[in-house]
Amino acid sequence: MNLVATEAARERAASANKRYLDVAAVTKRFGTATVLQDLNISVARSEFISLLGPSGCGKTTLLRLIAGLMKPDGGRIAINGSDLTQVPAHKRNIGVVFQNYALFPHLTVEQNVAFGLEAQRTPKAEIGARVQNALALVRMQAFAERRISALSGGQQQRVAVARALVVKPSLLLLDEPFSALDRKLRETMQIELRHLLRDLEITSIFVTHDQDEALVMSDRIAVMNEGRIEQLGTPDEVYSAPASLHVLEFVGQSTRIGGTADASALNGTASVETPLGKILAPLHDGSGVSGKVVLGVRPECIALGERPDANFNEISAELTDIVFFGSKTALHFQPPGADDRIQVEVARVPSGIAQGVALKLYWPISETMVYPAP
Amino acid sequence: MTTIEMRTQAEAQPRRRFFQLDTPAIMVLPGIVFMVVAFAIPVLILVADSFRDAGGFSIGGYRKVLGDPYYIGIIWNSLQLGLITTIGSLLIGYPAAFALSRAPARLQVLLFALIFLPLTVSIIVKTFGLAIMMRRDGILNWLLLNVGFIDRPMRLVFTEFALYFGMINVFLPLMILPIYSVMRQLDPRLTDAAASLGAGPVTTFRRVTLPLTMPGVVAGISLVFSISVAAYVTPGLLIGDRFMTMSQVMAKAYLNIRDFNLGASMAVVMLVIAVTIVFTSTYFAEPASRRGRKG
Amino acid sequence: MIPRLSFALCWVMLSLALLFLFTPIVIVVAVSFTESAVFSFPPQGFSLKWYYSIRNADGLLASAWLSAQVAFISTLISLVLGTLCAIAVVRRMVPGGDVIATFMASPLMIPGLVLGIAFLQAARLVGLNDAYTTLLVAHVVLTMPFIMRTVLASLSMFDFSMVDAARMLGCSYPRALWRVLVPNILPGVMSGALFAFIASFDNYPISIFLVDVHTKTLPIQLLNQLEMSPDPTVAATSALLILATVLALIVCDRLVGLKRMTTI
Ligand SMILES: Nc1ncnc2c1ncn2[C@@H]1O[C@H](COP(=O)(O)OP(=O)(O)OP(=O)(O)O)[C@@H](O)[C@H]1O
Ligand SMILES: [Mg+2]
Repeated sequence: MNLVATEAARERAASANKRYLDVAAVTKRFGTATVLQDLNISVARSEFISLLGPSGCGKTTLLRLIAGLMKPDGGRIAINGSDLTQVPAHKRNIGVVFQNYALFPHLTVEQNVAFGLEAQRTPKAEIGARVQNALALVRMQAFAERRISALSGGQQQRVAVARALVVKPSLLLLDEPFSALDRKLRETMQIELRHLLRDLEITSIFVTHDQDEALVMSDRIAVMNEGRIEQLGTPDEVYSAPASLHVLEFVGQSTRIGGTADASALNGTASVETPLGKILAPLHDGSGVSGKVVLGVRPECIALGERPDANFNEISAELTDIVFFGSKTALHFQPPGADDRIQVEVARVPSGIAQGVALKLYWPISETMVYPAP
Repeated sequence: MTTIEMRTQAEAQPRRRFFQLDTPAIMVLPGIVFMVVAFAIPVLILVADSFRDAGGFSIGGYRKVLGDPYYIGIIWNSLQLGLITTIGSLLIGYPAAFALSRAPARLQVLLFALIFLPLTVSIIVKTFGLAIMMRRDGILNWLLLNVGFIDRPMRLVFTEFALYFGMINVFLPLMILPIYSVMRQLDPRLTDAAASLGAGPVTTFRRVTLPLTMPGVVAGISLVFSISVAAYVTPGLLIGDRFMTMSQVMAKAYLNIRDFNLGASMAVVMLVIAVTIVFTSTYFAEPASRRGRKG
Repeated sequence: MIPRLSFALCWVMLSLALLFLFTPIVIVVAVSFTESAVFSFPPQGFSLKWYYSIRNADGLLASAWLSAQVAFISTLISLVLGTLCAIAVVRRMVPGGDVIATFMASPLMIPGLVLGIAFLQAARLVGLNDAYTTLLVAHVVLTMPFIMRTVLASLSMFDFSMVDAARMLGCSYPRALWRVLVPNILPGVMSGALFAFIASFDNYPISIFLVDVHTKTLPIQLLNQLEMSPDPTVAATSALLILATVLALIVCDRLVGLKRMTTI
């Protein structure tokens, strides 16, 4: 699913430029409300990082702080080792693609792209060539003379990218650049933009609250919640080993089952008493959990039938819905005494099952995640 | 493109910015202070003056303005002036605005400009033209004679006919423009839809067009009424002292007879009328204005 | 049948309305070219003598110059004060933005004579005898609502993230405002300024209380002239005024587009 080989991403992350952009202990308050609290994030050179999080968690605020459009109340932001705190926005050489593109309606496409070069007093002769070059990158040469209002959403998006890239920014910030596009176009643009940025080796931070977008495009994903970064990792890490219940809920589909953990953890395995019976879950860093917990399972890990051996958890539940998705079919189960329904994905609906029947389900114990209840 | 040099370090030293936009007070205070001193306080002084004469507190001005039949008649004259001007403008303006809003696009721009232009011409100039028009040997008499309505020139200047003719002429665009701006946004499909549902033209107009254009009508009425009720120049030139209005009394009170208490009381009465019109019309125009617009 | 007929009637009404609106204006222009000293219609002969006599007419030119000055300066002051205020209101930099906006635009709903009287009394109270200053202050109040309304309307349609975009492309804050905010709100602001200028230049009811013998604005001088010595000089002056207005509208149309101007 990921466009970028995880291997390559790891390699890149391990390189010397691991802390190209360094945001250290940044705090931002609006009046009495603290929007960002001691936030840390480091981005490697030419890495593509997605900021993923629910609305209002502070993603835009973080971008604006990095861009210099706002001043932090505490902490430090540095690029390539040089502190940016006292550098005004217009001298940071950071490119931004805004959510609504913020193109200048009084200028043509060409003039929009040339705007940054003119502001930086690039020689006239050079401007023309670089503008053409940038427009070619986003395949918009044919529209150079157009007014902004005469462009479609996708075309405006491309112009916005060209305008931000033409000044050769040391960092590119994108704030939900695709949110105004329809699904089909968005998917095309995701791939296009990702290739473009990889070819140009531009370090980018990409804000989205579309988890699929983040999974598809990123080298690493930073999952934010309430002004903090809950997990920073490769898409694979974030999906298969969510660091918190919030990350589990926010990234991908999952089934969550509440229960009470037994105080004694047997050789790294927690035993959780749930309304569906006893469920076992592995404990990773040796930290024991006890008391109220929430268990999580990804739908693709659950299978229908009796468990083959004791390495699996097994429950039984009533089938309530069969939802056909084309390439797959989701079965929804309503287990007794649980509020969350259980979702199971199958390629084909097995014969002889219908709504209302109770079925047995199983999944590997190793794929069971356990978190303290909130 | 990998080596992007940072041009940032050199200019990192903090510098007091001359243009500090995060000081909103500096932006709003000059305007507000000016308007408070030059506008709010003078109006308040005027209101205070209306309760005061040479001997201190007094409601004598109001007793006169609101109790003396002569002044009540004058207030009534002003209201009548506003009312007739408004009704006349509405009767001409509504159909005219309708035709304007249905005109082909290019013609519409031109016609719009033609309606708009007279608004930018000085009221004195227009009233002057009206006065010439209505002379005994003016174009209006000439027209009436030639059409055969009359067989000798009539006296028109300084009659109430001249007054209303002139008032409507001066204020008609203020009725047409707000109605037009609402009608233009009215989706013609709505009336088509009504017609397709079997509504006759009269029903369609009464149940669809009229209610949907009401905000414009309300805006036009309140604009024309509030301005014409307080008109001074046009009535002064076209009818003069034969038709005394509140404006005339106020101006006389200050400029000629120097009865400030009377003038201030009259001014406050007019102020109350004007403010009442504005508030009632915003009340009526608000909820209706959100309906039936093109997306 | 009925809709056709009523539609035709609407067109007739529009044509009559246009005829009605333009007749007095055309008549003034026509009369300014007559030979005889009495206004009469149809005009007799053709001459430009009334245009020449404007120069000799007592105070007409001086008052036109005064009116132009007052209108220009007061519009300029309103433009600066009003625009700053409007930016702060639209950007929600200050609490109570709506109240501020309503307050700044409220002189428009107060009858001119009432305002004039209020200014007169206040000026007397503080001992301000200088007619020029009083006029100027009053006309700033008069023009403020026009500026406030149009600037607010233009600003509320302006997307301020464009300013951020310009800053990120290397413009300092003031330069970003200049390069992006100004060209985008200029049409609206210009039309507001034009209306403000016209409102001030044409104002009678406020100015009448504030002028003195030596400081008379054009409308007051014109009306005086009309009462004292009614000859076609007034018509010639009026015709020139009409010409100036039309020219101003054409220039604005070229710069801004009449359509954009009048949608506000
Ligand atoms: N200028 C401001 N003044 C006061 N509060 C603000 C301001 N800007 C943002 N906030 C608050 O800060 C919080 C974070 O806002 P931010 O715009 O960063 O969220 P976000 O993660 O970008 O959300 P979304 O996904 O909806 O864009 C929100 O609660 C918001 O209300
Ligand atoms: Mg945001």
